[in-house]
Amino acid sequence: MSALAKPATELRIAGGKLPEIPLPTNCPGCGVALDLEVMRKHNYVCSQCGHHFRLGADAWIALIADRGSWIERWGDVRSHDLLNWKVPKPYQEVVEKLLEDGLNEAVRTGTCTLAGRPIWLAAFDFRFVGGTLSIVAGERLARGMEQAASSGIPYVLISASGGARMQEGVLALMQLAKVNAALGRLHAAGVPYFSVLTDPTFGGTAASLALLGDINIAEPGAAIGFTGPRVIKQATYADLPPGFQSAEFQLSHGQVDMVLPRTELRRLLAHLLEMYP
Amino acid sequence: MTRHGRKPDDTTLSVWQVIELARHPDRPYSLDYIRRLAPDFIELHGDRLSGDDPALVGGIGTWHGRTTVFLGHQKGRSLKERVARNWGMMHPEGYRKAIRLAHHAAKFRFPIVSLIDTPGAYPGAGAEERGIAAAIAEAIMEWFRIPVPIVAAVIGEGGSGGALGMGVADRVIMLENSIYSVASPEAAASIVWRDNNRKVEAAEQLQLTSRDLLAMGVVEEVVTEPKGSARTDYDVAAAALDEALNRHMQSLLTQPTDELLQHRYERFRYIDSLVHAEPHFGPKV
Repeated sequence: MSALAKPATELRIAGGKLPEIPLPTNCPGCGVALDLEVMRKHNYVCSQCGHHFRLGADAWIALIADRGSWIERWGDVRSHDLLNWKVPKPYQEVVEKLLEDGLNEAVRTGTCTLAGRPIWLAAFDFRFVGGTLSIVAGERLARGMEQAASSGIPYVLISASGGARMQEGVLALMQLAKVNAALGRLHAAGVPYFSVLTDPTFGGTAASLALLGDINIAEPGAAIGFTGPRVIKQATYADLPPGFQSAEFQLSHGQVDMVLPRTELRRLLAHLLEMYP
Repeated sequence: MTRHGRKPDDTTLSVWQVIELARHPDRPYSLDYIRRLAPDFIELHGDRLSGDDPALVGGIGTWHGRTTVFLGHQKGRSLKERVARNWGMMHPEGYRKAIRLAHHAAKFRFPIVSLIDTPGAYPGAGAEERGIAAAIAEAIMEWFRIPVPIVAAVIGEGGSGGALGMGVADRVIMLENSIYSVASPEAAASIVWRDNNRKVEAAEQLQLTSRDLLAMGVVEEVVTEPKGSARTDYDVAAAALDEALNRHMQSLLTQPTDELLQHRYERFRYIDSLVHAEPHFGPKV
């Protein structure tokens, strides 16, 4: 039976149970009081107004991967303070604090199954220095893509990133080329690549792998663009219209294939994996 | 990979002074070099989709006896020209033009020379509306498939993704007083401090000078500029750039295509490999 024919509830959290995330007492979209358990079952999408709360990599893995199927790869690759960055905060301390908090860099990658089909999954984590593309993130992405290219296993990306990481300087910029080199091999090998763009996806991440999916799927209301609105206003003194750089804006400007609620994502991906065997 | 780093004669410049030299309004721009390298240069226009981006010049010229495709960011000299050239900040049409000309080069087996001199891609609403992120992303990916030798040189400012979109090459070299950075010092200050007045502090931390990049293994060579920087003698600066570009190009012209593309892949895939050499440098793999 096709995945799309199955009832939504059956596939919604077919993966693991989503972890608890800190939520405001009221939804910023509509003001309704939020109940953690209800939100957790509803993939952290407000059932009143459809506001999508940001998820970390751990939540995305739980949402996408079939329960018990996740095998994390290269989780021990670590950042170092290569530029000896001191102000306003020493980079090494920032990274060590985040690692202590249980976050493992801005990108986590590994293999899992989705509705029984094997995939490579990479998820950005915006909580780790703004989900910025770093040497570690680039290395994990590139290795996963190379392995997906050689094994023919479809690649699924969840992006949430501010761009390249300033504190790693020009080597962070070079990750765009490194990742896109590997992505070119994935495309050349004819392996499906599904890119899910979540709030926010900007800068070097948008200008490298995030918008180059065979199918680009954006979450409703997600901000997606190259230059952030603050910098655009600073540079051009332009008044940006409401909804500028939203997922819906990118849909109407031809950059994404669809805007899809998170509650339907798993079902769609499962169906796509059937269609791109 | 060979590295021909030469000690610049003046090591007393502060980082900010180097940035000011890199951005100096009298510094030679791409066309100043291209016209000296290939006096018969013919400019070609347009992305064949919707427009022509004057911030990037492209065309063909005879260089050391061989038809070569030249690409380069072009800043303007007068205020009027600066506006017309958008200060060398490309729109999506520019990256699409570059890739169009790269395919042109591939068809006729012309080598490609790319000169980089941009503060960054244009940070404006129009560029966003026409898909600047995807245009850069596609360019970066496509450069890895162009089956002819490519040598790039940073001649002034190498700003962020806007520069890298023109900087995927078999060899990348830098003029001595040029910079190459993940973001302009102003943008980095704005991102890290939320205050772009902290640009000098940001610049000092970013390690964006030619010597820094050579040490990190991101560029193959630093080309010495005439005393007082390239702006004091365009001919001497162009001759030095010509010699270095040609030396790199000659060694690439004899390489079989599959080897060339494999080396280009590895050049960027392992561009941070020097980080293993020093304990404080990058990931432990």
